[in-house]
Amino acid sequence: MAANDKVCVGAIAGAFGVQGEVRLKSFCADPAAIADYAPLTSEDGKRSFTVKITRAVAGGLAARMTGITTKEQADALKGATLWAERTKLPSLPDDEFYHADLIGLTVLDTGGAPVGTVHAVHNHGAGDILEILAPGQRNALLLPFTLAAVPTVDLTAGRIIVDLPEEA
Amino acid sequence: MARSIWKGPFVDAYVLKKAEKSRDSGKSEVIKIWSRRSTILPQFVGLTFGVYNGQKHIPVAVTEEMIGQKFGEYSPTRTYYGHAADKKAKRK
Repeated sequence: MAANDKVCVGAIAGAFGVQGEVRLKSFCADPAAIADYAPLTSEDGKRSFTVKITRAVAGGLAARMTGITTKEQADALKGATLWAERTKLPSLPDDEFYHADLIGLTVLDTGGAPVGTVHAVHNHGAGDILEILAPGQRNALLLPFTLAAVPTVDLTAGRIIVDLPEEA
Repeated sequence: MARSIWKGPFVDAYVLKKAEKSRDSGKSEVIKIWSRRSTILPQFVGLTFGVYNGQKHIPVAVTEEMIGQKFGEYSPTRTYYGHAADKKAKRK
C-alpha cells in the first residue's frame, strides 16, 4: 500500500476492443463497486480517472475511463493499479472493519506486551481470521476475529488488543 | 456413492474426546486437530478447532450452519492473499 489514506481497488489489464475501452480488474468485494469510488488515481497520484463500466467481460470488466480514448492509450496503462481515497469507502457499523484498516495495526496482548502486527485478514467460511506476524518469527499466528479473542480494536491509536486463547 | 445412514457420520475418536474435554473445562481454547476428514457434529457448535492444513492450524469457530460438513472444508491448503480493497471483516 502506498499510503494509508489510499486503497488499491483495481488494476488496468489492458485494452478491450479498439475503441478506447479498458479491461478492468476489480479487487472490490462487489466488482462493479469500483466505479462508486471514482475518481480513481494512479499509484503516484499524478493521473486521475472517472470510471464508467460498460459490461462484464472475460477476466474482468470493460470500462470507459476519462483521458483514455484510443486502444494505444489503454494498452500503455496495462498493469497500472487504481487507487481510491480511503474516505470514499462508506462508514461501517460497530464491529465491522475494512481489511485495509486492520492490516498493519500493532497487536498487543492483554498485559500490554507486543505480539506483532496484522499481516492479513482471511475468511475461509468459518469467520474472519487475523494473521499476525511477530518480528523475527517465521510462522504467523492465526487468531479468530471474535470479541473473545480480540476484545479491543483501536483504529485511532493503531493497535488491537488480543486475548490469546489456550491451545488444547 | 453416499455413505450409508446406518453407519452414522464419521468422526475420528480423538476429536470427540478432545471436544468433550474442552467443553467440560469451559475454557476458551483452540482445539488442535489433524483430522480434516471428520464430520462436524452438533456437539461441536460453539467450540473453536485449529484444523491442520499441512502447515499450520487454521482456527475454525464452529457454528450451526457448519454441521454435516467436514473440518477440512474450512481449512484450505493453499493461501491466496489478494488485495484488501473494500473487503470487510466482522467481529462476532
